Amino acid sequence: MEILKVQNLCKTYGRGEAQVRALKDVSFSMQKGEFAAVIGESGSGKSTLLNCIGGLDLPTAGSVWLDGEELFAMPEKRRTVFRRRNIGFVFQSFHLIEELNVEQNIVFPLLLDHKKPDRERVEDILEVLGLKERRRHLPGQLSGGQQQRVAIGRALITRPALVLADEPTGNLDSKNSRDVMDLLLQASRKYQQTVLMITHNANLSASADRVFRVADGVLHELGREG
Amino acid sequence: MTRVCIVLAVALVSVLFGMADMAVVSQKLQAIKNDGNWHVAFRNLSREQEAVLAARPEVEQTAWYDVVNYRLDQGYRIGGTETVICGMEEAFLEIMSCQIEEGRFPEEENEAILTKGARTRLGLKTGDTVALALPDGKSAELTVSGFAGDTAMLTDKDAFGVFVNRGAFGRLSPGKPEESPDGMIYTRFVPRCSIQRAIADIQTQLGLEEGQAPQNARLLGLMGQSSDNFIQGLYLVAAVLAVLVIVAGILMITGSLNSNIAQRTGFFGMLRCLGATPGQVRRFVLLEALDWCKMAVPAGLLLSVVVVWALCTFLRVLNPVWFGEMPAFGVSLGGICAGAVLGVVTVLLAAQSPAKKAARVSPLTAVSGNAGGVHAAKCAASTGIFGVETALGVHHARGSRKNFWLMTGSFAFTIILFLSFSASIDFMNHAVTALKPYTPDLSVVSPDNTCSVPAGLAAELSQNPAVKRAYGRRFAYNVPVLLDGQEGYVNLISYETHQFAWAKDMLVEGELESVENGSAVMIGYAYAGGNLLKPGSVISLQRTGNASGDMNAEGDALDAVEIGVAAVLSECPFDRVEGVETVICSEALFERLTGQTDYTVLDVQLNRSATDQDVEQIRQMAGDGFLFSDKRQKNREGQSAWYSYAVFLYGFLAVIALIAGFNIVNSIAMSVSARIRQYGAMRAVGMENGQLVRMVAAEALTYACAGVAAGGIVGLWLHHFVFTYMVTVRWGDAWYLPVRYIVIILSVVAVSVFLAIIGPARRIRRMSIVDTIGDC
Repeated sequence: MEILKVQNLCKTYGRGEAQVRALKDVSFSMQKGEFAAVIGESGSGKSTLLNCIGGLDLPTAGSVWLDGEELFAMPEKRRTVFRRRNIGFVFQSFHLIEELNVEQNIVFPLLLDHKKPDRERVEDILEVLGLKERRRHLPGQLSGGQQQRVAIGRALITRPALVLADEPTGNLDSKNSRDVMDLLLQASRKYQQTVLMITHNANLSASADRVFRVADGVLHELGREG
Repeated sequence: MTRVCIVLAVALVSVLFGMADMAVVSQKLQAIKNDGNWHVAFRNLSREQEAVLAARPEVEQTAWYDVVNYRLDQGYRIGGTETVICGMEEAFLEIMSCQIEEGRFPEEENEAILTKGARTRLGLKTGDTVALALPDGKSAELTVSGFAGDTAMLTDKDAFGVFVNRGAFGRLSPGKPEESPDGMIYTRFVPRCSIQRAIADIQTQLGLEEGQAPQNARLLGLMGQSSDNFIQGLYLVAAVLAVLVIVAGILMITGSLNSNIAQRTGFFGMLRCLGATPGQVRRFVLLEALDWCKMAVPAGLLLSVVVVWALCTFLRVLNPVWFGEMPAFGVSLGGICAGAVLGVVTVLLAAQSPAKKAARVSPLTAVSGNAGGVHAAKCAASTGIFGVETALGVHHARGSRKNFWLMTGSFAFTIILFLSFSASIDFMNHAVTALKPYTPDLSVVSPDNTCSVPAGLAAELSQNPAVKRAYGRRFAYNVPVLLDGQEGYVNLISYETHQFAWAKDMLVEGELESVENGSAVMIGYAYAGGNLLKPGSVISLQRTGNASGDMNAEGDALDAVEIGVAAVLSECPFDRVEGVETVICSEALFERLTGQTDYTVLDVQLNRSATDQDVEQIRQMAGDGFLFSDKRQKNREGQSAWYSYAVFLYGFLAVIALIAGFNIVNSIAMSVSARIRQYGAMRAVGMENGQLVRMVAAEALTYACAGVAAGGIVGLWLHHFVFTYMVTVRWGDAWYLPVRYIVIILSVVAVSVFLAIIGPARRIRRMSIVDTIGDC
């Protein structure tokens, strides 16, 4: 089942001589449960691609279809609500809410929707993330790896159609990087979660079902598992 | 934002001093207009002494002046009207800024200038001759050489003024021969002269005694040439206010700088990494703050000049009579210097603590990436009761206890200042002569203080379109009574509907209903408990039916009446005579007690459009046989002092309210700046703009509510304290909840919170998520 469809996506910054074409006619699609990695040099346009797919940035041209809905046909307010219900984000710098504890951070997208979290789901995620003992801890009381696990929990809590991870291991040591990768893979396998991850680490991309490379704003698919 | 804080602090200090300066300039011009452009008047100088005085190099101008019949009791009259005779040299008119409205100064001994009132009432013109009745029964023929304006005293006492030259004055006042050492020599000194030293020199040289040289204290005070003066008080108040503004400014700028430093912790860590010593980082922050002053201080000064111009223009338009002398586009050098110096000092003081904070940043901060701009949370927000956005907003406010108390204290400080200072408005309303609601423009008074002004005249005058209202009072003086069983005297006065309505606002104890319906009386509150009477006291007096109303005169004693005192007024518009209580009753009761139905005094309030012709018409309606007192000029002059104080007090209250407003707006803007990255992340994970705005609003309201609660409680306690000591002790007014000022300061807080939310809301709406969170 096709969950993500990107068609002729273009993003241009600046004007005249200062114009930079960050994305050039990018098109691809992903099936439900697929785990894809995007690699590329710094400044190649991979973060821009992720921002546009996640609705954080507006493309200059092209369209993004997620779960049958065209993202940029929606007004801004609806796109925000759609994003919190259908897209999970994992950032390199975690971006947890300092004033909320581990459990509150995980259920944050549900709280924004004024929904009561499903206790079983929360317990399950805390169990998977290994954070049950630390549910009342504040982000400041956690290690970097633990914080990133909380961020993954937050990305998964709404059972989103797509999880976007931008260098999720960029701020972590090798052991924590491995743990985080395992968690993302486990989420993809266990919850049939579609994951699109940006990484510099070629070893990490080896675990992905599909690998894309972005160079000078152009996307190439390097390979597909099986 | 820090630059804006500096601009505001500089502008506020500069406006305070600028307005004080403009007020001094305006007061000086007003003083010259009202009291004359003289510095000292030497009394009883001989002609030789006069010559010596005039020859001194520091004396710019002298003018001789003398007066007879000033108290209207010496028998100088024109056409039966009491007349004041003023002898003067022509220079005196210039010194007194007095213009001859028509004609010229009298050169001959048989010539005189008359005041406008005489021209109107006697139908005179220049060249006419009038007969001045002299005290010895003779009369002097005077040719009218011109006309001058009336004075408040002349219109109030319904008298004429005659200005003659020195020779004529000697002829008209035989008791004061020309060579007698009498009269005053009004003296003006040259600019930049040390006036007190010059006066002392002259007194020594001429051998003058103490009291022979009265000074124009107001003008000298305004020139800074007197030790006991209004201006020193004004500048002192401006200095105190400036200190308060500086404190508020330091709090504001420190908060802003702290926030700025906190957001650049990583940068300071990097400087330390690259080898900067803590001292260098500290100097860097201080120099950076001074660098901001380069732009912010001139901008603040410019803003202050514009604000001072706007305020002066506003005051001139508001009341051209009292503020007409205020310069429209004056630039106060004092205000600008004070603003510039205090602005830089404030910034340097405010930058100390943030500079130390920056110097303490560890080099590790830069390499570890742990350089967040916001204090680490100590406990989790409670998301159980409110929505998560509201819970986070409240938590942002309360997260750091130190910051919360600083912010609450800062809000509370301005609210406390506002509420406690507002008590001084009540003090001013009592202490400084202002037009009371019952102040008349005209009065028709019985010449022998009996009830002889026809009651029907009030109704007749009320029909005149120039008359707003007419109301009379009956007086019975020295009525023998028993006050709670003890013999004593009272002055009995009657009130009608209008006066009872005004009395309601002055009621401090008891009730007015029984007084109004004639079953009881009321009294005025006397300072230091001087009243023999109090509510519940009983007055017994003999009812009489005589026509004079004088209860000492033989009257037809009817029967004894006992009346209770039912109310006490904070102010009684009648002077209290020692040993005689003033008792106010209804007209019906007065009539029942004395049999009198006519008035002793009939007061008239005029419509704004009333002209001199209208007043003349009313005078004719009142007829002869009564004293006709025109109080309009006196009222106008009395009102100016009240306006000066009011502008100053209300101006300061406005400045406090402004500071409160800026503080709230500034604090919220800084808080949003510090958390903007977090807001970006929240937007990324699906928080709507509206939810973010609600979060900011919750934070602002938390500070505001805590500040209002703390400021309200302490402020009301202080208001009670100040009111009790300044007003209750003196005038007996019971403390009241200052609802008006509470509403004003709450409105200021509400508007400020609203404005504090609008700015960040706009910023949040325009915020690019990608740019804000930075690393996506």
